[in-house]
Amino acid sequence: MAFHIYFLRRLLFVVPLLFGITIMAFLIANAVPADPVTANLPQNALNDENLVQAFREKWGLDQPLHVQYLTYIGNLLQGDMGRSIKTGRPVIDDIKQFLPATMELATLSIVIGLFLGVGVGIISAVYRNSLIDYVSRIFSLIGVSFPVFVLALIGLAVLYAQLGIVAGPGRLGFRTADPPLVTGFFTVDALLAGDLKTFQEAFSHIILPAFILGSYVAGTIARVTRSSLLEVLGMDYMRTARAKGLGERRVLWHGVRNALIPVVTIIGLSYGNLLAGTVLTESIFAWPGIGRYMFRASTSQDFPAIMGVSMLIAIIYIVVNFVVDMLYFFLDPRIRGEGR
Amino acid sequence: MKLARRLRLLIMIAVFVVSVAMVAAQDEAVLVIGHAESTDSLDPARGYTQTTGIVNRAAYETLVTFPDQDASEILPLLATDWTISEDGTEYTFTLRDGVTFASGNSLTADDVVFTIQRLQNVQGNPSFLASNIESVVANEDGTVTFTLAAARPAFLAELTNNAFSITDAATVMENGGTDAADAAETDAAEVYLNSTSAGTGPYMLESWEPQVETVLVKNPNYWGDEPYYDRVIITNIAEAATQKIALEAGDIDLALDLTRDQVATLEGNENLTVYSGPSVYTHFLLMNADPELGGPVSDPTVQLAIRYALDYEGYKALWGGVTPPTNLTVGLVAAYGEDKAFTRDLDRARELLSEAGYADGFDITLSYPDFTWQGVNMNTNAQKIQADLAEVGINVTLNPGELQVSLEEYRNGDQGFAYWFWGPDILDPIDVISFLPGGKVASERANWMPENAPAEINDLIAQASVETDQAARVELFAQLQDYLQESGAFAPFINPAVQAAYRSDLQGFVYHPQWTLDVAILSLGE
Repeated sequence: MAFHIYFLRRLLFVVPLLFGITIMAFLIANAVPADPVTANLPQNALNDENLVQAFREKWGLDQPLHVQYLTYIGNLLQGDMGRSIKTGRPVIDDIKQFLPATMELATLSIVIGLFLGVGVGIISAVYRNSLIDYVSRIFSLIGVSFPVFVLALIGLAVLYAQLGIVAGPGRLGFRTADPPLVTGFFTVDALLAGDLKTFQEAFSHIILPAFILGSYVAGTIARVTRSSLLEVLGMDYMRTARAKGLGERRVLWHGVRNALIPVVTIIGLSYGNLLAGTVLTESIFAWPGIGRYMFRASTSQDFPAIMGVSMLIAIIYIVVNFVVDMLYFFLDPRIRGEGR
Repeated sequence: MKLARRLRLLIMIAVFVVSVAMVAAQDEAVLVIGHAESTDSLDPARGYTQTTGIVNRAAYETLVTFPDQDASEILPLLATDWTISEDGTEYTFTLRDGVTFASGNSLTADDVVFTIQRLQNVQGNPSFLASNIESVVANEDGTVTFTLAAARPAFLAELTNNAFSITDAATVMENGGTDAADAAETDAAEVYLNSTSAGTGPYMLESWEPQVETVLVKNPNYWGDEPYYDRVIITNIAEAATQKIALEAGDIDLALDLTRDQVATLEGNENLTVYSGPSVYTHFLLMNADPELGGPVSDPTVQLAIRYALDYEGYKALWGGVTPPTNLTVGLVAAYGEDKAFTRDLDRARELLSEAGYADGFDITLSYPDFTWQGVNMNTNAQKIQADLAEVGINVTLNPGELQVSLEEYRNGDQGFAYWFWGPDILDPIDVISFLPGGKVASERANWMPENAPAEINDLIAQASVETDQAARVELFAQLQDYLQESGAFAPFINPAVQAAYRSDLQGFVYHPQWTLDVAILSLGE
């Protein structure tokens, strides 16, 4: 199969998927038996019918559900995601502000997770049932099962407050000005501006949360890498390769490439999870990202923001899965049809 | 070689620029406050949150105000003097001379009129505070007259709310603002007021990045004493544990939202000062007067028994603060002090229960939100209520709900036996009317109606709602508090303490019941 046909076929699935997600998100958000009016107006204002009515009209809550939905979709198609009740700004502006912080953190976390996880996984598989395998398996088990927020609080208390090795909450010191906005990644923007001091500060702030999230992801990646590589190493073609007289390194490389296929899926999913679900880590590290924004939106029934973030997360997963599918094309010869 | 030399020169220039910038930054007095930001808007006519209160207290001023530390009396601010008509419906204010807004415009009576009309007409969250004002007029002599729909003893206390912050009419109008009747649709000044302020306060809003940080800088045109700090940064740290860690590390100067167990671990730290004082929030049990919903707890004798059965000292040990005698917040004018509060008397409680026909107790479900408010975990309290009542034979099943879901049931009056908390919107005894028959919480949420109360009590409530004479008010509210203690459908049990901590050389910190914190009175000691 040619790459472009594969690409287009996958792309076609995306449209109905997105459409379905808008309906699901809208229905779920509305199924909660709570009223945005009571969530957002002060107690005494609820006595005043005019104020309640004005609030409902302002946010379109006086319309029947299907009209609200169609209005939302109509606006969405024109690129308008509505205005957040809580921040008073267009949701798209909120996302533009909060997403880069989350992406920067998630990207560094996945890089850390990838190196740690794949490295530990390979070592574990190669030295199966040795001491080093047991130790690394225990570490990956801790990484997977230890609650992230506990790790985060311990990390802050010890490495930041006690030892002062890393910087504390926030993306930069509270007294430091943000670097000039280019990518929204503070580390990158600081480097682009040639401001090494700010870069150092941004890096010192991001490294601890990134390492904590990374080690969590690394646990899963290591376990999948190990089992996948063990499976591959036991395959007939590996024995054939050895029998052909290939060196042990070449043999291993041969195996690793094939073992990586399930690992790529896990990495994709983990990256999606990091972008969408780091609410606790962001709260603890006062990290102004999309997770914290989403939490505020959902606890105050901020419908436009809830819908906006739901769409965003859906798109993130779709894009990540899409990229993973594309990678399969290159990693797995069966998809390319070369095996026929 | 050449390249290396150039590089060295570049680095030297960079180091020089950075160090000059650092010296400049160090000269500025900066205060960093860690706070769980709740801002919904910084437009005084639209914002109604704790953080809005802190920011607008610094950037704006009201006609009258409370003392720095409490709500015990009304003091002049932008108004130097006022007169009240005989029937209590007309208030005329004389404005302070020589006051300018941050823009340099002078304060006039027209600004006051614009502010009030805009507050009424934008129909924002705090607009209900002005619903009682029938008209506001600028007089020829520069004074302003407010005419109320009916006499309202709490009017001056209401005017201290930052919703009544006097705004610069010319500047607000230039930026899309209007006080016209259709302002709810046509006023477009919120975006402007969320990024800049237009008040007469000691500070100006420099920036607000929602859910990240709010920055205030000194107002060069301020008429009063210059504040100490050049710049105040309120940074959003939602997590109390993180606030504590950042304070210990010295990254923030003041942590506003700590919990009791965190503060305990800071006690020995000589670099930090701990603040713990009662909040205005009262935690209470609601006992629905409708027998269909409340069952046994709809019986006033059972309600009294429950008030005797609670272990008040135990809640104080958990959260600090004070035991409230009634739902009239301790510390407000005319409110009973803690000395009048219930003390636990299990024998009396059992006696009352058997009088009501429940000698063997009964089963009941307690509804409450699964929520933590200002460090007080409602689940913990619910479990303690369960244990307290078990001692008199009342078998409580706990029914925690998601906050918004439970809130909806509560506001619809669907909960028979419930646990909630309440903070007064107005720091005046009038607030307790909500908890008396005909009042919002009593009638709408506890189904405790005027027909459930004797005629003389209904008369007392009517009188207390309009009486302006201070001595008469104290007498009226005393009788109403007695009635609430004897026959009320509520059992208030704790006003938990609020916890804050700050670097020890910070001076002037006060936790105010109205605006939480006045940053303009903070300074750094030697």
